[in-house]
Amino acid sequence: MLKDLRVSCSPHIGQRYSTRQVMADVIIALAPAFLFAVYYFRQYALILVSTCVLTCVLTEWICNLICKKQDSLGDLSAVVTGIILAFSVPPSLPWWSAVIGSVFAVAIGKMVFGGLGANIFNPAMVGRAFLTASFGMLMTTWTVPATIDTAAAMPAVSVASQNVDARTQATPLAWSKEVIKHKADVKIVNGQIREMFFGEVGGCLGETSALALIIGGIYLLIRKTISFHIPLAVLLSAGAFAAIAYFINPEANMLPLAHILSGGLLICAFFIATDPVTAPLTRRGMWLFGIGIGTITMLIRVVGEYPGGVMYSVLLMNAFTPLIDRLFKRVPAGGKPHV
Amino acid sequence: MTKISNISKLSETFSAGLWKENPVLRLLLGMCPTLAVTAAVKPALTMSVCVIFVLTCSNIVVSLMRNLLKPHLRILMFTLTIATFVTIADLFLKAFMPEMSTKLGPYIPLIIVNCIIIGRAEACASKNGIMISIVDALGMGLGFTIALCTLASVRELLSTGKIFEFIVMPKFFVPWAAMSMPVGAFVTLGLILGLMNVITRKNA
Amino acid sequence: MSKIIYFTKQSWLLIVASFVFGLIIAVTNSALSQRIESNQTKKLFDLMGQLISGSERFSREYENVTVKTAAGKEIKTDIYKAVDSESKTTGYAFIAEGSGFADKIKLVIALDAKAEKFLGFKVLSSNETPGFGSKISEAYFSNQFIGAPAAILELTKIGSPEKIDNQIVAISGATVSSQAVADIFNTYIDTVRDKLTKGRDK
Repeated sequence: MLKDLRVSCSPHIGQRYSTRQVMADVIIALAPAFLFAVYYFRQYALILVSTCVLTCVLTEWICNLICKKQDSLGDLSAVVTGIILAFSVPPSLPWWSAVIGSVFAVAIGKMVFGGLGANIFNPAMVGRAFLTASFGMLMTTWTVPATIDTAAAMPAVSVASQNVDARTQATPLAWSKEVIKHKADVKIVNGQIREMFFGEVGGCLGETSALALIIGGIYLLIRKTISFHIPLAVLLSAGAFAAIAYFINPEANMLPLAHILSGGLLICAFFIATDPVTAPLTRRGMWLFGIGIGTITMLIRVVGEYPGGVMYSVLLMNAFTPLIDRLFKRVPAGGKPHV
Repeated sequence: MTKISNISKLSETFSAGLWKENPVLRLLLGMCPTLAVTAAVKPALTMSVCVIFVLTCSNIVVSLMRNLLKPHLRILMFTLTIATFVTIADLFLKAFMPEMSTKLGPYIPLIIVNCIIIGRAEACASKNGIMISIVDALGMGLGFTIALCTLASVRELLSTGKIFEFIVMPKFFVPWAAMSMPVGAFVTLGLILGLMNVITRKNA
Repeated sequence: MSKIIYFTKQSWLLIVASFVFGLIIAVTNSALSQRIESNQTKKLFDLMGQLISGSERFSREYENVTVKTAAGKEIKTDIYKAVDSESKTTGYAFIAEGSGFADKIKLVIALDAKAEKFLGFKVLSSNETPGFGSKISEAYFSNQFIGAPAAILELTKIGSPEKIDNQIVAISGATVSSQAVADIFNTYIDTVRDKLTKGRDK
């Protein structure tokens, strides 16, 4: 019993939340998005989420066993990683590649650094990055939600890919790339804002429904599990960037609202960027971090080659987090710290 | 008597390069080819053979002229010697294995700045006789080969499903393209180094 | 005087070694240079043979044809001719290069004997991302170029890759590399076609 008690210097602050509680809150907040995913993508959603969560938990358990570390499954962080990874991949992704991604996310993204709290990058995004690099074709094949009858609303893109057997459709963002490159009609995307809000478009498993993600985000804000700084900074900077782009050339750019509702921007703002381990600690740092993510995402979307840039922007800003923390180091009462 | 001690010293020098002082996995030297040419076994093996050739030749030459070396000009001499043999190896590759030569690209000329070779010239050949220098070069070269081929076979297996261009994996295997990119090199090297540490800690 | 003696004493080994090593390299180079050169042309002719069916012998037809890139830079290339066993021209080929996603892409592009149609391309060297850009050498992409009219090509994302026309359907996930290949074709085709058709009129 005594070895579990740690005594450190004052001042002592009573912590209301344990890691376990924080993670449980995040899981609850992700529940609406999960329900929407099951509604739109049926069995795909169930298979993917259960595979990812199971593999993540199992990988963490095995890693702890190998390193002879104390079992850390109780903090539920592996479950959250699994859910977020499953939410950020296309619904038609085969189960085995979800397994590979989950193992990579937890083993390489988290456990080799020394477990939760020591990882530099968001584990789920590390796993997704590995999947994108390895199975590019599978990661850009978008299944149409089961509730839509025809894919007529959004014409299919990329016919020249092989082995596509699922019914596919361009995501709003992929279509917007067409608009920029080949002068396709931007109105098709802008006319879909209602569908984007409810999630009736092609896209990653848990990212399509803006409504569900906003509900989850508000729950986290009310529970004070996350502070409002990062989500607000991400959404405001992305919105501002999109507004400027739209103002300059409305023919080639989507509406700012469409940009915010599409792709992974909302799930990133509320669930991925706010990961307490890989985000800065101070308020000013959080603003900078959020603005960085929003701006880089929009840069990739509007100027770059990839349709969605959330994953890369999060990973990039994760790398900057230690520097940001250093920049906005808190000054202790009574003077500047010795640097 | 002296003969026996000589032989034991030679075998000790040889085996040091394989495991205890393995240039890649223990001393972390020569990282550039280790990360750059290990996407498949064939280029890794070609690179290893080139390194063994250059290492042996430069060790012999350096060992022969070790008594003539001026201390402040020695690095210059080492580089000159190594560069000569690397250029010869590069020309031979271009003439007899043009495909492999284009695949390896600049990494063959870059052997000139490979730390293993200049390191062995400095640490071993410039201080020891010709026999020991040759054995040291072969041991170190073989250690380098083992490390590169291990890394390359893991990466080639996962990124193409083949080893040495023979299909090994079952038909349903989908290659992991990331393993043939730099990511794969860093991750695999890191995991192998970790494994080495686990093994040595157990033995100690 | 003493300075010179000092200098020689210190550096005689270096000077001697430089000469000896230089000599060794020169000998190796002169022994192998012919082989190295023939290797390069052999690879080119091999690829030409795969592209232009029925061809037997190859020769250089035009040397140093100057091509202007979109950026206004001038590059030189050679045009090669392929003939069958009865010395009838079966087609032409040239080496073309341009920047891809990661690095320079070098292609061998073949034209039919009348310089009216492409006979396809082969990748001479490229460093494109494995799994994405490296797909430019795969059949479902490169077959689109076989039989395409020798004119400016256009890259699209929507369309049928089986239809042979001047519309090239991009590889999904590798638009930059696909665009790069189309751009390389477009940079060279006008100049090369002019050169070949004019040569015939004479």
